Amino acid sequence: MVTTLITDPQTSTWSDVFSTQNGAVYQCDAERCWYVDFAGKVAKFDYRCLLKLKKAVYNVDIEAKLLDSSKDPDVEIIFICACDHTYILTLLQIIALKEILEGAFVMLQLNHIIQDRLYRIAL
Amino acid sequence: MKDLIRIRSLISAEVESLLNQQVKKEATSSSIYLAMASWCNRNGYDYSSDYFFKQAEEERQHQLKFYKYILDMGGNAISPDVTGIKQEYNSFREVFEEALDQEISVTQSIKNIYARCLKEQDFVTNEFLNWFLKEQREEEYKARRALELFEVIGEEGTGRWQIDKHVGGIKYDSEA
Repeated sequence: MVTTLITDPQTSTWSDVFSTQNGAVYQCDAERCWYVDFAGKVAKFDYRCLLKLKKAVYNVDIEAKLLDSSKDPDVEIIFICACDHTYILTLLQIIALKEILEGAFVMLQLNHIIQDRLYRIAL
Repeated sequence: MKDLIRIRSLISAEVESLLNQQVKKEATSSSIYLAMASWCNRNGYDYSSDYFFKQAEEERQHQLKFYKYILDMGGNAISPDVTGIKQEYNSFREVFEEALDQEISVTQSIKNIYARCLKEQDFVTNEFLNWFLKEQREEEYKARRALELFEVIGEEGTGRWQIDKHVGGIKYDSEA
């Protein structure tokens, strides 16, 4: 489920997962979801949709697009199946979004390792 | 910050992807055995044909076992594309040589997932894979025994007819 919000991303219950100059990913523990602040909007993603977004963005062949000399507009539509949300992005935005998602997933992985290795033993 | 991904899925994205590859491998195996069953049947090797039909069914069951496990653990099980199955074989012996190769490659693949799970300390998936490791002992044993019949009986004269008859009788009932 994806919902576009107009609220300020700095809601107190949101944790910063990863951010760059171009955007950010926040996690909301209470709602068990993530908020992606990118391209002028904040969109809510649950686990499945976030994975689908990651897959869709990672699947864009950036190198092929850069080498493409045809006169087609430099725009990519990121459509996520079963999500009521679509991104229409330029190549530079795709690169920026990919950077954010890569960073976010590394941080989520790191969080998982910390939870798994540290808390499992501490608790 | 809670580990939300862990709440949704017991297995990591890497293990999930490896398990999905295994689903595909088992599906391919099943299709290969089906093609072998067809070849044997067309060439008059009835017992071997039945043997491969049974093998095809077993591989299909393995595929479903992996498939359901991925879903049970909260992952995304992907129904695989299976294409490019070899339909023709040069000889009766070649069929069994390829069957053994196929089983060896399945064992290697399961070992690879096992190693990854050990690295991640995913003991749950390791425990699940134990059944398959034991199963592979049987699968490789049967494929090896079938191939050995070619050495023991020999292909001359009515040799292939004898071999075909004995393939149906291969069983693995070791207590080990």
